[in-house]
Amino acid sequence: MEKVGILIELKDGKIKKTNFGVITLARRQGCELFALILNGDAAACKEQLRQYGIGKIVDVTTAEGPLQWNPDNWARAIIAAMDHFGLTTLCGLASARGKDVLPRVAAYLDAPLVMDCVDLNLNERTARKSQFSGKTIATIKVSGNHFIFGIRPNAIEAKLEPCQAEVVSFQTDVESKGLVVREIKQQAHSGIDLTEADIIISGGRGMENPENFEILFECARVMGAAVGASRAAVDSGWAPHTMQVGQTGATVSPKVYIACGISGSVQHFAGMKTSGMIIAVNTDSEASITKNCDYYIVENLFEIVPILTRQLKMVVDPI
Amino acid sequence: MSLYYTIKPILIVLGLLAGFGFFFIRSRRLIQLMTRVSGSHPIRLDRLPERLKILFTEVLLQSRVREKRFPGLAHTFIFLGFIVILPHTIELMIAGILPGFSFARLFPALYGYYAVLADILAVLVLVGLAYCVFRRLIFKPKYLTDGLDSRLILLFTTLIIVSFFSVNAFRLAFYPEALQGLQSGYLISFPIATLLGLEHLPRQGLFIGLEASYWIHLAVILYFLVYIPGSKHLHILAAIPNVFLAPLDTPKPMLRSDLENEDIETFGLGSVDELNWQNVLNLYACTECGRCEEQCPADLTGKPLSPKAVVVDVKDDLIGQFANNKNTIEPIVRPGSPITEDVIWSCTTCRACESVCPLHIQHLDFILEMRKSLVLMESRFPEELQETFNNLENQFNPWGFAAEKRADWCRGLDVALMSDRPNAEILYFVGCAGAFDERGKVVARSIVNLLKKAEVDFAILGPEERCTGDAARRAGNEYVAQELMQANLETLGKYKPARILTGCPHCYNTLKHEYPQFGAMPEVLHHTEFFAILIQNGILKPHVNLETTVTLHDSCYLCRWNDMIDAPRKILGAIGALKIREMERSGRQGLCCGAGGSRMFMEEKIGKRINIERVEEVAATRAETLVAACPFCNTMLNDGVKETASAIAVKDIAEILDQATG
Repeated sequence: MEKVGILIELKDGKIKKTNFGVITLARRQGCELFALILNGDAAACKEQLRQYGIGKIVDVTTAEGPLQWNPDNWARAIIAAMDHFGLTTLCGLASARGKDVLPRVAAYLDAPLVMDCVDLNLNERTARKSQFSGKTIATIKVSGNHFIFGIRPNAIEAKLEPCQAEVVSFQTDVESKGLVVREIKQQAHSGIDLTEADIIISGGRGMENPENFEILFECARVMGAAVGASRAAVDSGWAPHTMQVGQTGATVSPKVYIACGISGSVQHFAGMKTSGMIIAVNTDSEASITKNCDYYIVENLFEIVPILTRQLKMVVDPI
Repeated sequence: MSLYYTIKPILIVLGLLAGFGFFFIRSRRLIQLMTRVSGSHPIRLDRLPERLKILFTEVLLQSRVREKRFPGLAHTFIFLGFIVILPHTIELMIAGILPGFSFARLFPALYGYYAVLADILAVLVLVGLAYCVFRRLIFKPKYLTDGLDSRLILLFTTLIIVSFFSVNAFRLAFYPEALQGLQSGYLISFPIATLLGLEHLPRQGLFIGLEASYWIHLAVILYFLVYIPGSKHLHILAAIPNVFLAPLDTPKPMLRSDLENEDIETFGLGSVDELNWQNVLNLYACTECGRCEEQCPADLTGKPLSPKAVVVDVKDDLIGQFANNKNTIEPIVRPGSPITEDVIWSCTTCRACESVCPLHIQHLDFILEMRKSLVLMESRFPEELQETFNNLENQFNPWGFAAEKRADWCRGLDVALMSDRPNAEILYFVGCAGAFDERGKVVARSIVNLLKKAEVDFAILGPEERCTGDAARRAGNEYVAQELMQANLETLGKYKPARILTGCPHCYNTLKHEYPQFGAMPEVLHHTEFFAILIQNGILKPHVNLETTVTLHDSCYLCRWNDMIDAPRKILGAIGALKIREMERSGRQGLCCGAGGSRMFMEEKIGKRINIERVEEVAATRAETLVAACPFCNTMLNDGVKETASAIAVKDIAEILDQATG
């Protein structure tokens, strides 16, 4: 039976939920799964990973303890672990880190790499991925001694399949000569990632000041939405650029997009036009957004949003 | 004494040989650089009378320099003064070798007049120099670089003129008989001699004074001669050929890169060896007057770009890279280079720099080609452009709207498609903004209304239309631009319309001046000029009075790229009761809105936003309506109006005219 390694990504010591989709996908052909944990407490992850059918949890460490983030060191450590446990295939997330480390592993092993996969068949060695902005789906067949796949986050719904699991320690010494990580700068942003959100509530010039964004955050928390902003709000310094939706910000396609106090210039519309449903709240009945939405409310957003929050709370938590 | 007379000519000959020799060597090195660069550019010597006329008016009469009045006047004095004292200098050089030589003997009749002229102009040079010193040390405009180079030049020129007077004064006192009858000609020098009481000095003293003045005069001139090729004063050599060979017409296409040729290994301008001879001549011609920087919207709003600095930095890099026969030429944009990616991407391509440059330097040829190199060779561009590039490639519009919905804006308007009316007289090229932007659609409908009022036989391309390529081309993506251009040309070739009307200055400029690089094109008109003609011919009659005060924002791609300044003013002038209040920066000096050069699709993260700067100027006119003629200007200014909470309506000129024609 083929042995498959899964690179597990942790955030603040906890397993990112998107990992479980990768595990679910890799499990399908009945391969033996090895979870590779490089920067955290493998024992603490055991229970969760077991639930999704991981039999072996490899605690990869160096003499100094868990590995600090360095894509080159990670790639070398992963290769050492793959070699040691006889893993032929490696699956990981096509996330920011995955995009940094998986190609390095592939390059060192001279192995085929398919990134952003939405489906896999490890027996047939085929991967499916979308191309040309989702216009076509390619099925890619790979051959070689090793195979590396990056799975698009949230592409696969995670399913439980508990099994027995054990934690194995693996120590390796890696030191990248060519690459040193000096500093990691994280853009401060709160809540859910815009591009992955099902619901987005955005504020524009009508928000008037940064403090008012809090009413959007409050509403977003209730319905599990992400908060976005128009360029006008970002330019005014009311919201960070990471929240910007539009031509020069994030391109989003949530199921529902709620635009509050956004006139909906073409530059903004371009970034959210593929949303499933667009709802606008604007005092100007002539605003461009009213011509490009499914529903609009001509009313002050400071009245509407709190009402929406209140109503949603009643649904979520009726008491 | 006789020993001195014996060795003086020898010393002078040696001095002249050394001075001219070094000058020749240093100049030759500069000329060699023009031939060592690999870029190609034709030498244009067509329309010779026009070129000679420009040389006469702009160089000899200094007309363009004086567009900035006081510095221009000062420069004119200095320039003409030095031209006029040149024969005097030559005379002195010869006289040093052949004692007693004087043009006064050769041309006795003329010499008197010449002496008057030279004396007067030399004084004017001093006046000009005094102004320059005053300006550099007291006014200190930001756009002037005050450094050792500029101060040395002022010192040298002043020394030359002062010693000119001193030589003359001592000569008059020392050889009173030789210059008999000419004293009156030395309007200034003779009174100086009298004032200093030189005639009372002993012969010995006069001799020493004369010889000292002479040597100082000659030494400064010779040293200056050697100094020039390494200084910004090089412009005195490069300006004439640069102006003479400059493009004669304002409109110009961007350089076409041959993407089909598989032997070409680099595109755009990545390192100085890829410059062409004309670029290099441009660099030599720059005298760092800073007029470009003063006009540049990027510099004005605190961006790192100054067109002057780009020219100076590329020049320094050129000379540095080719110095000491280095084997490798480094890229222009490299760690530590003053030309950073931020510099290159800050440009709005408004062309204010080029249009104000007294020496016709083509700044954009550098900036746009550097963008091309970054994008095509290294895939380096502001990340937010990625989406725009993708959209242009996939959906043929920058926003990524479905290409097949391009004609949806005119549903119910009874607008024909070219596929249904292939023989329509005019093809109305709507453009992406007119087709997809809500604001743009309103303007497009006004244009349609006007065309119908004028009973123009027109049709649109609808889904067959694609972005003209302007946004991609000016963002350096020549590849996507050419794809779009080729596809549009194919469609146009199918219908062969007699004329194309555009609603966007960017479409207009690209179709009119850049498409002919790839294939034959019909006449292209912007709606402003077209409607101005229709009004002039009495076909459109603005009979409705509009009681409003407007101010006009000139689109860069109309006013500076295409000299179209009168047409919008004619339209507004034809509307009853409408008052125009011009902004301080209008017409050819109009300030950009900030969207050109594909800046529309980039973030403006550094400094003040250009549209805010412009809207503040608009607000100062206290006009009720701001008239634009470009969808990008419209968007930017409208954003600025909202941002500054001004109560100004931003309208396209077509909307105003639609209203005025009832």
